[in-house]
Amino acid sequence: MNDKVISREKWGVAVVIDIERKTAEIKDLFFTELKKAKGPEDLEEIRVRFLGKKGNITSLLKSIKNIDPSERPKAGQLLNQLKEEIELAIRQKREALLEAFYQKEEEEDAIDVTLPPRGRKWGGFHPVAQVMEEVVEIFASMGFTVAYGPEIENDFYNFEALNIPPHHPARDMQDTFYTTNGLLLRTHTSPVEVRAMRQMGAPLRIVVPGKVYRRDNDPTHSPMFHQLEGLLIDEDISVADLKGCMEAFANIIFERSLKVRYRASYFPFTEPSLEMDVECVACSGKNPECRICKGTGWLEIAGMGMTHPNVLRAGGIDPQKYNGFAWGMGLDRIAMLKYGLDDLRVFFEGDLAFLIGGRQE
Amino acid sequence: MKICWSWLKEEVNFKIDNMEHVVERLTETGSEVESIEKPVPLLKGVVTAKVKSIKGHPDNPNLLVVKLDTGKGEATCVTAAKNLRAEDVVPYAPPGATVADGTVMAAREFDGIVSEGMMLSADEIGLPDIADEFGILRLSESEKPGKDIRPILGLDDYVLDISITPNRGDLLSVRGLAQEVAAILDVSINELRPNKGFSDSGPSTSDMEKEFKGITLQDEGCSLYALGFADNVKIGPSPVKERVRLSLLGMRPINNIVDATNLVMLYLGQPLHAFDYDLLPEKEITVRSAREGEKIVTLDGKERSLIPDDLVIASGGIPVALAGVMGGENTEINDSTKRIALESANFDSVRVSKTYRRLGLPSEAAYRFARKVDPAKVTIALSKTFEYLVKWKAARPLGQVMERSGEEQPRYVELTRKNLKKVLLLEDMDLASTILRRLGFIETTKEEDRRVFQVPSFRADVSIEEDLIEEVGRVWGYDKMESRLPAVTRKPGDITKRMRTERQLRNIAMGRGYAEAITYSFISPDLLKTLRIPEDSPLANCVTLSNPLSKEQSIMRTSLAFGLLKAAAANIRNGWRSPIRMFEIGKVFSLEDGTELGVKENLHIGGIVCLGKDSRFVWKEQVDDFFSVKADIMALTEAKGVLLEFVKGEYPFGHKGQSAHILNNGKVIGYLCRLKPKIAEELSLPQPVLLFELDLEVLERSKGVSFGKTNKYPAVYRDISILIDKGMPVEKVKVDVKDLASQYVRSVRLFDVYEGKGLPEGKRSVAFTLEYRSEEVTLRDEEVDKAHMGLREALQQKGYVLR
Ligand SMILES: [Zn+2]
Repeated sequence: MNDKVISREKWGVAVVIDIERKTAEIKDLFFTELKKAKGPEDLEEIRVRFLGKKGNITSLLKSIKNIDPSERPKAGQLLNQLKEEIELAIRQKREALLEAFYQKEEEEDAIDVTLPPRGRKWGGFHPVAQVMEEVVEIFASMGFTVAYGPEIENDFYNFEALNIPPHHPARDMQDTFYTTNGLLLRTHTSPVEVRAMRQMGAPLRIVVPGKVYRRDNDPTHSPMFHQLEGLLIDEDISVADLKGCMEAFANIIFERSLKVRYRASYFPFTEPSLEMDVECVACSGKNPECRICKGTGWLEIAGMGMTHPNVLRAGGIDPQKYNGFAWGMGLDRIAMLKYGLDDLRVFFEGDLAFLIGGRQE
Repeated sequence: MKICWSWLKEEVNFKIDNMEHVVERLTETGSEVESIEKPVPLLKGVVTAKVKSIKGHPDNPNLLVVKLDTGKGEATCVTAAKNLRAEDVVPYAPPGATVADGTVMAAREFDGIVSEGMMLSADEIGLPDIADEFGILRLSESEKPGKDIRPILGLDDYVLDISITPNRGDLLSVRGLAQEVAAILDVSINELRPNKGFSDSGPSTSDMEKEFKGITLQDEGCSLYALGFADNVKIGPSPVKERVRLSLLGMRPINNIVDATNLVMLYLGQPLHAFDYDLLPEKEITVRSAREGEKIVTLDGKERSLIPDDLVIASGGIPVALAGVMGGENTEINDSTKRIALESANFDSVRVSKTYRRLGLPSEAAYRFARKVDPAKVTIALSKTFEYLVKWKAARPLGQVMERSGEEQPRYVELTRKNLKKVLLLEDMDLASTILRRLGFIETTKEEDRRVFQVPSFRADVSIEEDLIEEVGRVWGYDKMESRLPAVTRKPGDITKRMRTERQLRNIAMGRGYAEAITYSFISPDLLKTLRIPEDSPLANCVTLSNPLSKEQSIMRTSLAFGLLKAAAANIRNGWRSPIRMFEIGKVFSLEDGTELGVKENLHIGGIVCLGKDSRFVWKEQVDDFFSVKADIMALTEAKGVLLEFVKGEYPFGHKGQSAHILNNGKVIGYLCRLKPKIAEELSLPQPVLLFELDLEVLERSKGVSFGKTNKYPAVYRDISILIDKGMPVEKVKVDVKDLASQYVRSVRLFDVYEGKGLPEGKRSVAFTLEYRSEEVTLRDEEVDKAHMGLREALQQKGYVLR
């Protein structure tokens, strides 16, 4: 067809060309060819064939001058439309092919997402260290500041300043490790109370996290464990303030509101002295066979009381003007309760089966 | 402290006999009931039976055939026991009955004769201590046959184990607990009525009293000393029911005299001691301090060497007892004792404590004296003991002598409304007074806002107002009090720098794959040897425990490496196969003069890394080595803005060629090293094992990280490659490059180290890339080239060979 038009032109004969039919034919042809295109090379070939300098449409455009002038605008319009249509189709096809190409490439590059991660996994915290941090933060929110003291102490701070003179029967309660140079391993975090009083005076709010040592070793005791001591000295302090602090603490650390009860007790450095129990976090007192609370429904959480005037005096604080309270709690036990652990002895062995074994594949 | 529920019931007039309520109240008010046990719970169906006849077994000379009156008829028992006679009353377990260990009885044949169940020994009843002879337990002949054995022996009872706090010595007795229970339940208690006949210490009448020369209280430590005399002593077992009671309360029955003193001690809390009067070296008693090196053989048969701290009871210059702790063997009651002197005295708590602790003799008596005994019980205890002896026909009481040194002054303590309100938020002075009076305090002054109380003699623990407030608080009940939060009005709380530092380090270490460990602060001295710590090393400067639980835990660690290595080795031993990465934050301890206590405590972070037994991994790139650990350490410190320098160093346990000091500002603050391969082999650890440790002090003090500026002008990069001796540290070359580089060089980054083929022996090539950048202009290539050339020349002048 193309050849025919051109040949007639050669003869200088004005030909009546049926532009409409022609464009329809080219269009059909184009889309048939386009459908067959498989890659960018095919597309280029088609583009040249239809839109190139010698392409179908270009020739047809050139031939417009040969047709009836009244028909020319319409013919021109038709051809330009076709040209745009073809250009758009080629562009779209190119996009489609590119998309298909990437699609295929991605499919080929598929991985097994279930393979293990590369690099090191998260290590893991020790339950006691974690609980220590959390407990301290709770008390910091109530105005307590962290204080520290030596783990190797002398008799004065560990006992005498705490109203435990030599040969006091309370020394039987705490089997003490002594050192060959006349010192001892602190049996509680309480020595820091007197140190802090002497250093900072009253009013005072401190919490003392740390290791303590007692000379016993059985399934429920370790010769080393962790305590958190608290001390508040101010004017006009009541047991009610102590209860408030301890209950707030218990509810935050165990993440729910727990029943509590108080029992009278005895510590030489507090008067009155009491102990706080919370409802069993495992059974809420509903299981008489419960291993955590031994069926009592209660868990001992902390020993506490109003600071004994002798202790205030040892700390250089006037008991007429100030009073306050102190408590001590076992962090290991709280960690055990919080994380549902039942053997204290594995805590200090650095046993990876315990520390991270629960998270290994 | 154990107590029988039945004994408590004899003393207290309960309105409602409800043990659970009593237990609850005791626990609330400070005497925690730790356990409640039914004695020999399995024993069932055992009855009394009377021996009618005993004959030898026709076919077995070792056995006897006993005919029993069981109350319901006759039964035949075959036994090997030889202690029975006709008319004896014995415990009899017919077929179907259960003995203490749960065995159910059945008829059983012995050489042709069927034994219908069996007669029981003390052992089979579940109370081996109550046996007074070998064989079948014999009961009182007055018991009728066919009665359940449990009530007869007093086994239908509960034994309460109560934890008595050290301040409440007064509760270490039935009478004391009864008083307490009555007070906390607001009920009454039976009056304590000593038998008139024995309590008078009137004029000396008996031979024994006449013969006795007197008591001398020579040194401090005994405020009151009484001796009760008795003759016609017939040593024998005490009645079986009393033996059962003693046994249930944890005391072994001995004989009637000793059992009587023990029962009185359990009842009143007053320890007593019985001397064989005729064995006293002189008929006199002197209470005095022991002489240095003086010896006494105590009742447990051990010879004790004494010091002047010990208080002794001496007679004729010879110690016959350790005051309040234990009697002497030389005057011990024995089967031929005819006359006794019963000691009831009040000894000083401190002196008794010192002695029993030093000698490791925590006897029931010492335990009580250490917690203070009511001096008012001395004479009552003597008469109570005599009451038993008379009732049991064990002796004839004659009278008593007593000596005191000084009079106990009554104590008065004030209670004010102001302080009661302050501590307990309680204003009701009448309620407080009622509670105190129930507890035995006597109100001597009654004003609107102030009361004064006389403290009863048995409450040695009460001396200040706070003590009274505690008494009111505990009986009233802390649960009744409101709870409130003290306002934060002065200053906010703070977890402080140290804990913030620890938290940051923990999170970084965990994020880099380290598991957090906490190991014991005490270690085995063997670890020092294992790790080749020389004796003069600071790491050997350990604080030593004088009473460790074991050698394994006998010295305080000077490094975290010990515990971490031990833990790693244990993990491998226990079959851990994956890589090991652990860290610990904790204190290390060493002796140091000039410190407050002569001990220096430093907070460290330490780590251990090793490949693990099975280091195969689907991703081959994962390797832990010296340099990966170095990156970990730098991550820890860079987060705190602390810059480190690593220089070659030596550590006793470190690989000679792979150990580094870690420096900050020229000061060593830690180390990183590979464990000596030989030590790793000895510990069966897969290699390489890497250890590091840092002192946290610098990190705690640091001001934190700093930030850079944005770059306004582009950088130009030039590489430089230098040939150096193998032994020269790259860091030194880098410092030289930096020093000699132009002002435009912003950074020098090592990107390659090469040795081997193509290089001379003993040499290596290091390559750096230098970043040239100006903060004011865009540098032109020519300027950079010129500067770089200048650097090359300067390096060559310094002797470096450039490539
Ligand atoms: Zn429970």
